Amino acid sequence: MEKFAYIRAHSAGEAVTLLNEPGLKSSVLGGSTDIMLLLRHDAYYCDRLVDISLIPELHLIEQMDGRVIIGAAATFSEVMQHPLIRSTAPVLEQACRTVGAVQIRNMGTLGGNVINAAACADSLPALICLDAHAHILTSEGEQSLPVSRLVTSPNRTLLPPGGLLVSLSYAIPTTGSRSAFIKLGRRNAMAISRLTVAALGRVDADGKIIEARLVTGSATPRIERLSAVENLLLNQFPTENLFALAGKTTVEEMIRLSGRRWSSEFKVPALEAMTARVLAQVFPTGEAA
Amino acid sequence: MKYQLTLNGKPTEVEAPGDISLLSLLRDHLGLTGTKEGCSIGECGACSVLLDHKLVNSCMVLAAQANGREVITIEGICPSDGSPNDLQDAFIRYGAVQCGFCTPGMVLAGEALLAADPQPTRSQIREAIAGNLCRCTGYQQIVDAIEQTAQSRRERRGHA
Repeated sequence: MEKFAYIRAHSAGEAVTLLNEPGLKSSVLGGSTDIMLLLRHDAYYCDRLVDISLIPELHLIEQMDGRVIIGAAATFSEVMQHPLIRSTAPVLEQACRTVGAVQIRNMGTLGGNVINAAACADSLPALICLDAHAHILTSEGEQSLPVSRLVTSPNRTLLPPGGLLVSLSYAIPTTGSRSAFIKLGRRNAMAISRLTVAALGRVDADGKIIEARLVTGSATPRIERLSAVENLLLNQFPTENLFALAGKTTVEEMIRLSGRRWSSEFKVPALEAMTARVLAQVFPTGEAA
Repeated sequence: MKYQLTLNGKPTEVEAPGDISLLSLLRDHLGLTGTKEGCSIGECGACSVLLDHKLVNSCMVLAAQANGREVITIEGICPSDGSPNDLQDAFIRYGAVQCGFCTPGMVLAGEALLAADPQPTRSQIREAIAGNLCRCTGYQQIVDAIEQTAQSRRERRGHA
């Protein structure tokens, strides 16, 4: 007797119909790297898996009306190798590059990483740094909301029951913007993130910071842009002192949002240094340039 | 359920449960035990196979997901007489095999790399095998074997 059934959807619309078929608890199967682990612990987690991983439209990565749209079933490998992502969002390319190893990146999907919504998901800080939106298809129609609102807390999202995350999109950052992502794990590959920092920004003709976005991962219960840090950076000239101050403020924000924990002893100095380092990549200082 | 796939270049059909991993389909239902089960949670890479020419952990793929697609296992990369291919031969010559448990996955990770990049640097080789754990060799000999094979394949192509 099989513990669950399997069905392959051929379009996003068909997948939503299958997910909403009454009398069956259906669940989405994307890259399978998270769900295979879940099924080991709870083989009766659902009645049927609806496989969306082979739907061509959900793998598309394209540019439309000043936005980059990424199909939810695009794998980490597909995202990080795509010229459009590499040219417009190094922060996302670098985040995808740090996920697992080749085997996981070839199967795991960007949409799955978002909906699984692990506190340590590598793509989330990058997507939220890009102010990415999630596009969801339900039996009622389409809806969109910012990724930062979709993911409410670790492993929780506002995805409606029977809904399918179809794509993610972000506005192409203004010309001259730079972005970067840094991950701290126990080793370079195959490591769950202990901390991540994503940043994006640009300077004006005089070299003054006119845009700054900073997001941390594995540091706070809800992944969001840290406006206290961003405001500190705005209208300033990039210097190592400024980055060090931003590092201190980032740490204060982490403690304010997460409280002191067993890991704070280690995370405080690490996050402080990582923040300064990522900002130095985004805003080359006069000294370095 | 009925599985139909192109396995090591041959159209293959087999009846097996629909709720098993690709690893179990290969080992338990198709008798291809070259693919090893190590951790079963996608961390060790011993179960690596090529699915539509991409390296994946077969323990992390639902067998049904591979239905109708192309799978290449360690049994599928050697010449028709069953002798080791040039990469496997280099593994032997460089002492890249000790207990041998990681070897099938390691060789396929090497093949996946060389198919994508015929001239990888040593650090690219290390990145390509980062998902394959070896507790015996210390990796150095494995990197040597892949690097040497890349070079000899380039030379052969150059002379051809």
